[in-house]
Amino acid sequence: MAHIAPEIFNGLILGAFYAVVAIGLSLIMNLTGTINMAHGSFMTLAGYLAFALVSAGTSYWFALAVAPILTLIVGVLTERTLIRPLYKRDPVYSLLLTFGLSLIAEETYRLVWGDNGVPFSPPVALQSAVSLGFIEFPAYRLFIAGVLLVIIVALVVFLQRTRVGLRLRAAVQDNEMIAALGTNTQLLYMMNFGLGILLAGVAGVLASGMLGLNPQSGNALLMPAFVTVIVGGMGSIFGAVAGGLLIGLTISIVTLYIPAASEIAMYILMAVILLVRPRGLFGEEGIFG
Amino acid sequence: MSDVTLDRKSFLTTAAVASAGLVTGFPAILPSRAFAADTLRVGLNEEYTGVYAAYAQSETRGAQMAMDAWNARGGVMGGTKVELVQADNNNNPGTSVEKTRQLVLVQKCPVLMGTINSADSLAVSGAANALNTFFIDSGGHADAVTGEKCEYSTFRTCHSTWMETHATGYSLAKKFGKKWYMIIPDYAFGHALQAGYHAVGKQIGVEFVGEDLTPLGTTDFSPYLTKVLAAKPDLLLVLVQGDDFVNCLKQTTQYGIVGKVPIGGPQVELEAVWALPKEARVGYWGVEWYYTGVSVIGSGNKLADGFISEYRKKYGQPPTARSAFGYITMDRMLWTVNEAKSTNAAKMAKALEGAKFRSVWDGEGYYRDVDHQLMWPMWVGQIRAQGTPEDTYDIFDIVDRQEAEKIEQSVAEKKAVCHMNWPT
Repeated sequence: MAHIAPEIFNGLILGAFYAVVAIGLSLIMNLTGTINMAHGSFMTLAGYLAFALVSAGTSYWFALAVAPILTLIVGVLTERTLIRPLYKRDPVYSLLLTFGLSLIAEETYRLVWGDNGVPFSPPVALQSAVSLGFIEFPAYRLFIAGVLLVIIVALVVFLQRTRVGLRLRAAVQDNEMIAALGTNTQLLYMMNFGLGILLAGVAGVLASGMLGLNPQSGNALLMPAFVTVIVGGMGSIFGAVAGGLLIGLTISIVTLYIPAASEIAMYILMAVILLVRPRGLFGEEGIFG
Repeated sequence: MSDVTLDRKSFLTTAAVASAGLVTGFPAILPSRAFAADTLRVGLNEEYTGVYAAYAQSETRGAQMAMDAWNARGGVMGGTKVELVQADNNNNPGTSVEKTRQLVLVQKCPVLMGTINSADSLAVSGAANALNTFFIDSGGHADAVTGEKCEYSTFRTCHSTWMETHATGYSLAKKFGKKWYMIIPDYAFGHALQAGYHAVGKQIGVEFVGEDLTPLGTTDFSPYLTKVLAAKPDLLLVLVQGDDFVNCLKQTTQYGIVGKVPIGGPQVELEAVWALPKEARVGYWGVEWYYTGVSVIGSGNKLADGFISEYRKKYGQPPTARSAFGYITMDRMLWTVNEAKSTNAAKMAKALEGAKFRSVWDGEGYYRDVDHQLMWPMWVGQIRAQGTPEDTYDIFDIVDRQEAEKIEQSVAEKKAVCHMNWPT
C-alpha cells in the first residue's frame, strides 16, 4: 500500500502526457477527419531535432522551445503538400498516407541518426530526485507536469477565448457554414494541423528526456494516445484530459500489482467504457457518428 | 468536414490495425529474386523491427563481413559464392516460424542463422529442425536453446543465460553484498536469467528482496523503481535489454537510485550504452565481447584486429558484441559447409561439433557436442561515463575474465536435460 501514493502521482503525470498527445490527435481528427498515424513520428522528429540542437551547443531550454516549432513547420508543409489533397476523400486515404509517412520517417531517422538510439538528457538540475515529503520523485517528471499543465490551460484559453479558437470549434460543428460565412477554412485546417503537431513536438522533446530516443520511440506512445482519444470521447478536449489521466492512473496502478497486465489494462478500460458509453466519457454527439 | 464520413467502428478498427502495424513494423523478406544454382543462400532471420532492431543491424553487419571475407577467398566448396537473405521476424515467435519456413521453402536457403529474442530463437530452432535445416542461433541467450529444447540441428554462438548469470553473480555478490532486487524482462530470456541468478543465489546465500517481471517494450519503469527505493537492496540487477534497458537506466538515474544502490546485470549491449546519456552510464555488467582490451582480443590477434579496423572503416563505429556474434556465426557456418561439403543438417552438425577454432577473441573456442553451445569466455566490465580522448566509443573498463568451462553447466548436467533426436 505504501507504493500507491507515489504511483497515483506518477499516473497523473503520465496521464497528462498522454492527454497532450491525444489533444493533438483529436484536434486534427475532429476538424478534418484525418487519423494521423504519423503523429508519433512527429514526436520522434522533435526529439531528434532537440538532440541535434543540444549537440550543436545550444541549451536544453532553447531546444525545448525551438525543436517543436521546427517540427510544426515540417508538419504544416506535410499538411499543405500531402494531406490537404485528401481532405475530400474517404478518411482511409489520409490514414494510409500518414501510415506510409511514418514508415518513411522512421527510415529517414535511421539514415540521418543511425539505427542505435542517441543519448539525450534533461538539464543537470532536473536529472535527480527531489523530496516531496512522502516520496522522492524525479525533478524532471515534476517539470514535465508543470509544462503539461501550462499547455493544457493555454490550449483551453486559446480555444475558448480567442476568435481563432472559436472558429476552430465552430468548424468542427459545421464546417460548411463557417466557410459560407467567409472564413478561410483551408487556412483554418493548416493552423489546426500545425497546432496538433506543435503539441506532439513539445511532448516529443519532453519524452526524449525520460525515455530512450530512437527511430521508433514516438510510435510506442501513439497507441495510448489513441486509446485516450476514444476513452475521453472524440471532440472533447476535457475528455482527452480526463481520458489521459484515467489511463495514466490505470496503467500505473495495474503495473504496480500485475505488471504483465499493464499493457492490456488500458484496452480493457476502453472496452468497458465503450460498452457503457459508446461515445466515450465526454464525446460530443455527432462527431464521428 | 461535412463530406467526410468516418464512423466510430471504422475508426477503431483502422486505427488499431494501423497502430499495431506501426509499433510492430512490417515483417518482410529481402531480397526476393531469382538466384543462381551455384550460390549458397544463407537465411538470416532477425528482429529488424522492434526493441532489438539496432542489435539485428549489428549482427547483420558482422555476418556480412564474414561472408564477404569468404567470398573474397573464392566462396565455399570450391567456388560456390555465398549470398545473404534477410528476413524480419518482427520480434515475434509466430512470425519467426513463418519466416523460417519462407526462407527454407520459398527462398531456398539450406542453412539459417540469426535471432536475438530468445523466444524467437526457440521458435526458429524448432521450425528449422522440423525442416531438417541447420541453424545457428547467433544472439538468443535462453538456456533452453541448448538445454531442454536442444536440437541436433541447432547450435548457439552467444553465451547461455546460465553462463551470463554465473559469470557475473559471484563477482557482484562479492563486490556489493547479498540483498538483490531484480528487474526482469517477462519472456523466455528473462525467466532463464532469473533462474540462473536463483541458482547462484542459492549457492552463496543471496536474499532476493524484490523481483519484478516487466513486459517487453515497457516505457515507464517508475512503479518498479519506487519499490526498489523502498526495498533498499545491496544491488539492483537490471536484466531488461534493448530500448527497455535505456528507458530503465535513464529513469533509475532520475529516481536518484544511482549513487544509492549499485547497479549491474548479466549482460549489456554497447548499442544500448551508447544511447544512454552520460549520467546514466553506470554499473557492472557481463560483457560478451569487447573491441578493445588484451584480455578480450589478446595481443597480435590479426583476425580480430582486421575485423575491428575494417568494421570501423566500413560503418564508422567499432563493432559490438552483436557484430562479433554475426561474424563468428557466419564464419563458422561457412566453415562447416566447406568442411562437410554439404548443407545436410546432420552432416554439418557432426562437422561442427567439438571443432576447435580461433576467432575474434583471445583463445580457442568450440561448439560443445553435448549441447551445441559455443564455449568461449565472458568478461565483466564497468561502464565509464565517457569514452577516452582517442576513442569516444570506448566506455568499458574490462575488470574480469571468466572461462567458459567454469561458468557453463557441466557436461553431466547438460546430458540430463538435453536430448537430441538425430535422424536415422
